[in-house]
Amino acid sequence: MRIIATITFLGVLCTATYPFGNTARSACISNNLLFNESFLQQTDTAKKSVDTGVVGIASPKKSIEKKLQSKGNKLDPKKLSVFPALSLQQYLKGESAGLYVQEPSGEPGTVQHMFIHGTSQPLLSARELFATQPLVVLDGVPLVGEHPFAFDIQQFKYDRIGPATNTLANINMANIKSIEVLKDLSSTAIYGPKGANGVILITTNAPGTKRKITFDSYVGLAQPNSVTTINGKFENDFRRQFYNKYTANGNYSENDVYPLYLSDSLNNAFYGPSNWNDKYYNSEVVYGVNASISGGTDRANFRFSLGTLRSGGVADDTGADRYDTRFIINMKPVSWFTVSAMVNANQIMRQRNRNVRDRLSQVNYIPDLSSPIAPNKDYYSGYLSEFNKGFDKNKTNIIEGYVKLGVNLGKFNFISTLGLDYNEGTRDIFFARTLLQSTNYASNYYGYNQRATIDNVATYDYDLNEDHKFNFSVGSIIQYDKYRYSYAYAYKGSNDFIKLNLLESDPNNGNYLQPTVFRRELVYKFLDKTRNNQVSFYGKADYTYKEKYSFSAILRGDASSNQQPTNRWFYAPVFSAGWDIKKELLADNSSVSSLNLRASAGRMGRYENFDNYAQGPQYTAFIGFTGNLISPGYNGFAVLNRPYTAGSVGYDLKWAYTDQASLGINGSFLNDRINASIDAYFKEDKNMLLGVPSGAEYGYTSIIKNGMAIRNTGVDLAISANILPAEKLFSWNSSINLNFNQNKLTALPGGLDQLIIGDRLLKIGEAVDRYWVLTNEGIYNTDSEVPVNSGGYRLSYNGIGLKAGDPRWKDLNGDGAITNEDRTLTGHALPQVSGGFNNDFSYKKWTLGLNFYFNLGRELVNQEMANRFDFVNREGQNNINSVREITFWEKRGDYSKYLLYNPWSSVAPYQANQDIFVEDASFLKLRTLSLTYDLTEFFKKKAANVQKFQVYGSVHNVFTLTKYTGQDPELVSYTGYDTGYGMQIPRTFTLGVKMDF
Amino acid sequence: MKKIILLGLIISSLFAGSCKKALDINSTRVVNENNYWNTLEDARAAIMGVYGLTRAALADNNGHWIYGDVRMGNFDSPNRQDLKAVIKNDLNASYPVVEQLSNWRRFYAIINAANIFLERIKEVKAKDARYTENNMAVDMAQVRFLRAFAYFYMIRIWGDVPFIDSSDDGNFENRPKTDQKAILEFVQSEMLAAAEVLPYRYSANDIQQPGNYYNEGSGRWDGALVRKLSAYGVLAHVAAWQGKYVDVINYSKIVLNDYGKASMGYVSTQDLTDRQGLFYDKKSNQLLAFGFVFGHQDATYVGNIESLTLAEPVVNKNIPDIFVPKDSILSIFKETNDGRFNIDTTGITHSQLYFTNFAGRYPIFSKIKCIQGGSTDPTFRIFSSAILFTRLEDITLLRAEAYAVLGETTLATNDLNIVRQRRYNVDHMGLQNSSSTDYVAYSRAMHGTLIEAIFKERQKEFMGEGMRWYDQIRYHKIKQNNPAFLHLIETGGIYWPIAKDLLAQNPLLKQNPFWK
Repeated sequence: MRIIATITFLGVLCTATYPFGNTARSACISNNLLFNESFLQQTDTAKKSVDTGVVGIASPKKSIEKKLQSKGNKLDPKKLSVFPALSLQQYLKGESAGLYVQEPSGEPGTVQHMFIHGTSQPLLSARELFATQPLVVLDGVPLVGEHPFAFDIQQFKYDRIGPATNTLANINMANIKSIEVLKDLSSTAIYGPKGANGVILITTNAPGTKRKITFDSYVGLAQPNSVTTINGKFENDFRRQFYNKYTANGNYSENDVYPLYLSDSLNNAFYGPSNWNDKYYNSEVVYGVNASISGGTDRANFRFSLGTLRSGGVADDTGADRYDTRFIINMKPVSWFTVSAMVNANQIMRQRNRNVRDRLSQVNYIPDLSSPIAPNKDYYSGYLSEFNKGFDKNKTNIIEGYVKLGVNLGKFNFISTLGLDYNEGTRDIFFARTLLQSTNYASNYYGYNQRATIDNVATYDYDLNEDHKFNFSVGSIIQYDKYRYSYAYAYKGSNDFIKLNLLESDPNNGNYLQPTVFRRELVYKFLDKTRNNQVSFYGKADYTYKEKYSFSAILRGDASSNQQPTNRWFYAPVFSAGWDIKKELLADNSSVSSLNLRASAGRMGRYENFDNYAQGPQYTAFIGFTGNLISPGYNGFAVLNRPYTAGSVGYDLKWAYTDQASLGINGSFLNDRINASIDAYFKEDKNMLLGVPSGAEYGYTSIIKNGMAIRNTGVDLAISANILPAEKLFSWNSSINLNFNQNKLTALPGGLDQLIIGDRLLKIGEAVDRYWVLTNEGIYNTDSEVPVNSGGYRLSYNGIGLKAGDPRWKDLNGDGAITNEDRTLTGHALPQVSGGFNNDFSYKKWTLGLNFYFNLGRELVNQEMANRFDFVNREGQNNINSVREITFWEKRGDYSKYLLYNPWSSVAPYQANQDIFVEDASFLKLRTLSLTYDLTEFFKKKAANVQKFQVYGSVHNVFTLTKYTGQDPELVSYTGYDTGYGMQIPRTFTLGVKMDF
Repeated sequence: MKKIILLGLIISSLFAGSCKKALDINSTRVVNENNYWNTLEDARAAIMGVYGLTRAALADNNGHWIYGDVRMGNFDSPNRQDLKAVIKNDLNASYPVVEQLSNWRRFYAIINAANIFLERIKEVKAKDARYTENNMAVDMAQVRFLRAFAYFYMIRIWGDVPFIDSSDDGNFENRPKTDQKAILEFVQSEMLAAAEVLPYRYSANDIQQPGNYYNEGSGRWDGALVRKLSAYGVLAHVAAWQGKYVDVINYSKIVLNDYGKASMGYVSTQDLTDRQGLFYDKKSNQLLAFGFVFGHQDATYVGNIESLTLAEPVVNKNIPDIFVPKDSILSIFKETNDGRFNIDTTGITHSQLYFTNFAGRYPIFSKIKCIQGGSTDPTFRIFSSAILFTRLEDITLLRAEAYAVLGETTLATNDLNIVRQRRYNVDHMGLQNSSSTDYVAYSRAMHGTLIEAIFKERQKEFMGEGMRWYDQIRYHKIKQNNPAFLHLIETGGIYWPIAKDLLAQNPLLKQNPFWK
């Protein structure tokens, strides 16, 4: 808050210092240019895009880029801002061909993931997820994500410790001038190895020289979808079927026990009305308010903005509040020199869910879980009120800033940028005794992620003559990344009134700095940090011939401290070329307004995020075991061992890299009424590190080796058509974007052709996001139905003979035994086709917008249903998998789809990895339905300087069409296993206004 | 001119950043080869690492007890299907715990760490003068013992296993299984060599370990490390496993003669079952144990017997994972005057140190219950009992077994009575007799043959200490009267299957024939 106050003060100071209304030179980059046109017309030439003397520093990188880029890359922030989103991912979902966004929960502010052109790694854990995310660059400042190294101390890895807030919730769309999704190397190369997964380039509104005030706001209501609740009777009836079928007297064995909570049908808590949903699901108000002011002269200008936003979840009282402010100032003390500085500061407060699982994984202690929370409202609200005795405060500050110096000497330009992105999070927790079987819990987390970048680039324009034009640039980038956290938690405080882990503060006391409220032996403290630096140099040459042909070549060298000293540098070239067919061949054809062909090919290093690989053979302090990862040492001494569980690291690890090629064409036809672009791409990420399970007789779970390669090939298609042009009374704009992607594993380390990691099979020639499942063909009703092989043995599953009540799994290789050999790869966790379909209908001042989002060729494993049927094993254990949330009492899925196997069988009849649980999860959603009324002209009559005045109403997440029988098919994590934990993405109704004057 | 200056500035700023320093970062999360094997502290971190890995290997998935107590043992499980499978010896069952327990990787981590230690420790000796010759000798002896111990433990579980005695760093060549007899020869010679070098106690002015070990007093080390008698005690087990009962006598004699030097003694029933008794913390009486010391913040939710056995009313968990059914309790604890547990004919329990809530549906096996720091607080299930591999009573009964097998009935009876003296010394109300000689001694008429009495005693005395399974194998080898069990022994059904993951990684391995 202090930061915001300071910036506000600065803003006021500046508005006071610089007079408004100097209209002498309003050469600011027009916002209107972008409005209504996501397919930006290419009007500026190579020359113009470099700093033209306007205050402010334009990136020099654009010289011929536009000719070499797909036109489908650019998005229109004005349109995106209609969506009441909190995160960048939510804004971008379904908006750009080739960018796939995963939103596994509707809980506001949670982490979401993006994939550009498929995944370049098998998504096994948070590590791979982090390594596959695109780089987001805000005004030249590369943003830093939340490093997954903290997962190392977590027994349960559902959420990272700390606030686990989406660090891309810092983009206020009202401040954004343009968003570009850069997918191929021709455009991402200058961002280096961290941009190997693609780059999302965000440019904020630049200050103008004319005084301008903008204001926009919306208020809305997020509403839950209705649910069907069930109670103990339903569950009891469900289970009784199994007992009736497989047990003689209601007990499977004399010593097993029927769950207490289902045993007593008079127990009102479980057998009474199941009305918990009244307390769990609620409508939430959402709103957003943004205002900005900009102005200045041709020598100095500024823009200042403030915003606040509330995003509400419809379940469990979740929500997130964001306060943001941004200030940018440009100064031009002499004609050839420009200074520019920006600060963008955000604070996000998150109200998190109260899931039992998430709480226990934070608390790291499993109480007795034999009875779930009762479905009755009274009992449930009693449970909820226990949370009020404690707190769970999550706060994240995200700050970006830069200082840029620009020197413009005509043909020669130089820009130096010092950029900083810093995000810090705190989470303070106190859970009262009543929540954890009379043990209270306190925890404090503070951590930050920080990236400082020094980016220098010099460009030189050289025009040999009218036909031959050159542009040369050289650049250097140094990036310093630092990630750190300190974390402590404690159990068994002396009472529920002291909610802090207090330490003895008297240095003279023998107990100095020892905990005084919580037991010393039950206070756990963690400190960790990791740093890595990157140094890069590049040279780039662009050449255009008669404005018809353009060529560009980049050669860069990158060094990372996360690479071993002997392989620190990676050198990579990228070439691209463009051909303006219209100018060359169709100059006289009036039906074709433009037609460009582009191609690029090149190589780029892939950045390694973990610092341990650079160290070669190494030692760690880990001596944990299953269920206890934080064993501090032996006999009170720290230990050092080889990284047996993390995997052996040798001396010969090298850079991973990506080879990419693309071929694209874009054209506009019929006086720009139809714009289309098609891009075919080939992307192969090679020599990537993978922990190959081996070396068990040397104590290792795996050996880290180079050599994994994954190829993604596909097509991005974007078409927009002005079906009824705007001049008419009634107009209709329609656009579709879609991506078809095919993923394929092309190499594994050491020439292996397949590898089993956990319950996944990585097989060369197959996609890495597939499920590895048994084929289920029914049930054996009697023992005699089980086939007997030639040796006289019954068909077995992993050595256990199958019996009546076991599934009839298909013995694919016919060897008389069901083993891993009989599993097949099926389905895809990531969609093969995804995209959006947008329509705008206008009538007079009215505009009706319809945004559809779709995924095709995507499957999910309905783990939630598998868990329901596997109740014997889930409840027999007392571990994190035995947790049943309040949503256990919600009816989801189609019970009739599954046969009644013997749940006590040791062949795991309800294991999720069989084809009966794999379901088609393709879907089509109407994501936004909006109606806008433009009042600009009406207000212009009253006040001349009104530039825009619009009001709109919209509904978001209107409906979903899918065959999937579980919850919303979007609500699934990267693994593709639907555990049922995704919180509803709410249907939100909003009313908003946008004003510029 | 202006341009030239500017150009100069620009060019210098472009390349000024190329400092190599930025690229050399020593990770704060791992230690590389340059920074290790240099100092005394490195040696300490390394040897404690081998201990820590040993503890982790035994604690992982509660393996020590699932291998030793749950498999075809005294326990039954109310609800855990995976444990039910182990109880039934159904070890191919598809449960994560069963699959992970059939993986031997964590034992090879001990062996690899030991091999690296033995190969590299001389570097510390060369670089750090504080690291004395004696310190190194004692360290190496401990590490050699732990490596041999890991092999012994694995052989009891899998039979033949690959034999690896070098770190083979970075190469990791796959090896086939080696005959367990050859490995047991190695185990025995290594343990003997270690036993000769090891002291009776650490930091206690033993001639074989003068001065303070790693600058810490004896209180820090007592019970935490392998001592001379630990080595002989385990050697007795190694010999018994091979049926070499003469060797058993030789090794156990050393333990039973010299335990005074090691500041040890027999424990009372009270001490055995106390919350802060034998199993709590680290103690000299733990002949070989790997401790989870509460004061060192080692206490853990899993990796102990308590997490399996304890439940209401001892801790606030509804149903125990495993329990001894009432019928079994009654048939095992049939003798009167037993301080651990006895019940009179009217069904009233007088002494219930071993079992709580006998009247309930699930009697709670509460012999070992080191909750938190040995407290009675049932609300937080974190435990600090040590993984105890052997103790004086074990070695005594082992010697009794050896004497009995070799026909030395009197000597065997004497040894058995040493233990009985401390257990069958309560009156019919469960109160301890005042005189230490007032106890029920072994008599053939009352307690059956000597062998049976010894093994019965073992069953009671070491319940929940991971011994039962191996005792049964020895018992049936001696008795030769249970065809079903002998079939298991002959066909390798007493071993565990080798995990699928291991077979997939190392094509030289063959599944144990019984489990194919």
